[in-house]
Amino acid sequence: MSIIARFLPLVVLPMIALLAAAPADAQSAGQPTAAELARQIQEIKRDYESRIRALEGQLSNLEKKSQAEEKKTPAATPAKKATADNAFNPAIGIVFDGRYASFSADEWSRIPGFAVGHEAERAPEGLSLGHSEVTASGNIDDKFRGALTLGLHAHPGEATEVELEEAYVQTLPGAGLLEGMRVKAGRALWTFGYLNEQHAHGDDFADRPLPYRAFLNNAFNDDGVEVSVVLPTEVYAELGGGLFRGDDTPLFGGSDNGLRARSLYARVGWDMGRDAAVRVGGYLLDGKSRNRGGGGHAHANGHGHEDEHADEHAHEDEHDHEDDHANGEEEHEHEDDHANGEEHEDEHGEDFASFFSEGMFTGNTRLYGIDVRFTVAPTGNARESELILQGEYFWRKEDGTYTLMEEEDGEEHTENLKTDSIAHGWYIQGVYKPAPRWRIGARYARLSPPDDAEIGHNPYAFAAMVDWSNSEFGRVRLQYNHEALDGDEEDNQIMLQYVMSLGAHAAHSF
Amino acid sequence: MSRHLAPALLAAFAVVAPASAAADARVFACEPEWAALASEIGGDNVTVYSATHGRQDAHYIRARPSLIAQVRRADIVFCSGAELEVGWLPVLMERGARPGVQPGQPGHLMAADHVEVMERPERIDRSLGDIHPTGNPHVHLDPGNIARLAVELAGRLARVDPANEEAYRSRLADFEARWGAATKRWRARAEGLRGTKVVVHHAAWVYLLGWTDLDLVARLERISGVPPTASHLRDVVERVRTTGAAAILLAPHDPVDAADWLAERTGVPVVELPFTVGGQDEAGDLFALFDVTLALLEKARDRS
Repeated sequence: MSIIARFLPLVVLPMIALLAAAPADAQSAGQPTAAELARQIQEIKRDYESRIRALEGQLSNLEKKSQAEEKKTPAATPAKKATADNAFNPAIGIVFDGRYASFSADEWSRIPGFAVGHEAERAPEGLSLGHSEVTASGNIDDKFRGALTLGLHAHPGEATEVELEEAYVQTLPGAGLLEGMRVKAGRALWTFGYLNEQHAHGDDFADRPLPYRAFLNNAFNDDGVEVSVVLPTEVYAELGGGLFRGDDTPLFGGSDNGLRARSLYARVGWDMGRDAAVRVGGYLLDGKSRNRGGGGHAHANGHGHEDEHADEHAHEDEHDHEDDHANGEEEHEHEDDHANGEEHEDEHGEDFASFFSEGMFTGNTRLYGIDVRFTVAPTGNARESELILQGEYFWRKEDGTYTLMEEEDGEEHTENLKTDSIAHGWYIQGVYKPAPRWRIGARYARLSPPDDAEIGHNPYAFAAMVDWSNSEFGRVRLQYNHEALDGDEEDNQIMLQYVMSLGAHAAHSF
Repeated sequence: MSRHLAPALLAAFAVVAPASAAADARVFACEPEWAALASEIGGDNVTVYSATHGRQDAHYIRARPSLIAQVRRADIVFCSGAELEVGWLPVLMERGARPGVQPGQPGHLMAADHVEVMERPERIDRSLGDIHPTGNPHVHLDPGNIARLAVELAGRLARVDPANEEAYRSRLADFEARWGAATKRWRARAEGLRGTKVVVHHAAWVYLLGWTDLDLVARLERISGVPPTASHLRDVVERVRTTGAAAILLAPHDPVDAADWLAERTGVPVVELPFTVGGQDEAGDLFALFDVTLALLEKARDRS
């Protein structure tokens, strides 16, 4: 209640003031009365001939003058106008990202037990464009700011994919909310952990760490609204929360009423001495899914396709199965109408995993995250030399049913797996800048797939990188990855990447 | 459960918030020189926080969480402006979300808006490096600019903290008297420095060069913010060899390698000036900053 009580006057009072000002304005503009008009017309009539003569004289003088001026400075006027028009254009920024990649494994093993989307897959081998970005942003008025970011994903041999990465409006500090409060609405890289808010081109490595790839398809940028408040405390403290559509696979998906996910977070930060700082945060994303599509493996051509499948085939069968389950059967039971037991027994473990990586999910998902980031610059100048240590831990619980469609003897049928499983993952990384233009970094990431997937091994990845920056706006990076995502299958990767930005460049946050 | 947590936390905050209105004015200064000026004018009536220390380069500062927390509570944000802090101040302003310190408000004081800014570029292009389209922002090394900002700051303090207006006015008068006398002394000493040839690392010294009439021979950074290249350095060596120079001037945060390299080849000594309050231990306040700077320049002149 106290919130509303504080907030209401801030909104209502300016409105009243505006309403009050409007009619006053109209009056002061001074509508002349009929009598006044008549008098004025009389006056004009009385001396219009002399006035017209005088005006004609002035006009011809002006014409001569302006002709002379035009000759002197022919381009002056249009140039000025162009500047004025530009002044209201949004700030435009473009990010170029290109890379060369070489992999020891011919085919990517995927991450068993996770529905990895297109974004989080292994980059194409050879020369390719990564993730180009165009951003336009600016203040809408004194109270709102807007930004739009288009991600252009060029996949060799396929049409370039345009993704609306961000399209949001947010309140400016003068919007009349509580001090320290910000409201953001639309689609944005929402607050979750450290990396999610950052644009990928600002990352310290060429790819996102495993937990981001597996749980978020690199980033959570659902449609929604988020409120955050920075508290007026000596130590930095921020609280926030949001409501989301719940339609950003692989975390949530297939939302039908469009308000199925929410978030909460809190974080604090402080200085450690003069030249070091730390920030620690705790985050929660919680939502419901209904027939959330699987990863890119089964249906690489896009998400819409998966959803159609869900509507066409899944519903009826699914209900039957769930009823069966309810009658006291074990949760782990792997059901199969078209029982053909022997074939399945051999690949039982694999079957459980494919539910998670390719099946459709209906149920509740809750993702917790913790992040820690520590920076120290020995001279106080991060540009000269700096060490950054950073780690995040994600913990996910899924409670619901996975449905897998299988084709057997030309017939499609569905299988269900009821699950209440926990998956988690973490990474830790260090980046050191020994000299102004050079940085070296190492990262280790590990995943524990959903326990019900019975995968039996934990994917891990190690990355080492060195990068060189000519300026703040141009960077070239060489990275080595050692990935073991699917048991014995190991992949050694070399990536050479450039990331350059042109035009408006958002100030970096911590 | 989480559904009830958010409103509860926000409600708790709403109760806590009014407590942040402290008795005195809080000044968030982006650089130590402005923090020092705020202490001179504000005295005991202000709490001054400096976002950077004397050995930091204010171009490149991380928008640390602690800085956001400070802006969140500031009554005045006092910075150089002219885009010096463009890489980090906007984040602090946006995240701190303090309405009274936003652009256009009395609590938003940018030094470059109140003095004559030098070196406004005719062409703006990133190939020219990290240039400031609005001109050179390092305005504080001219005592005349400090005097102008003292007046402006006193006015701003009186607006955000009217209860102490008298105190601000009297401290301003006191400061103006002392600063005026000191400026006279410094100008007299600068007469003796006229025409002394110097090499600088970054364009940060133009205001000092302006009123002291030092003679700039070369800049190590051909392009602002981009380390000097070998070919440019060779040109600089040639120029210094033909014209001669008394000193290669460095700020505490400038990298020493290029300056040392040039010193080795030309015999011109590298002289580190404090650049800002706290840049050297002896430069503990604004008066000492100018005293120390002039003394170091005089020493360099006498040596050459």
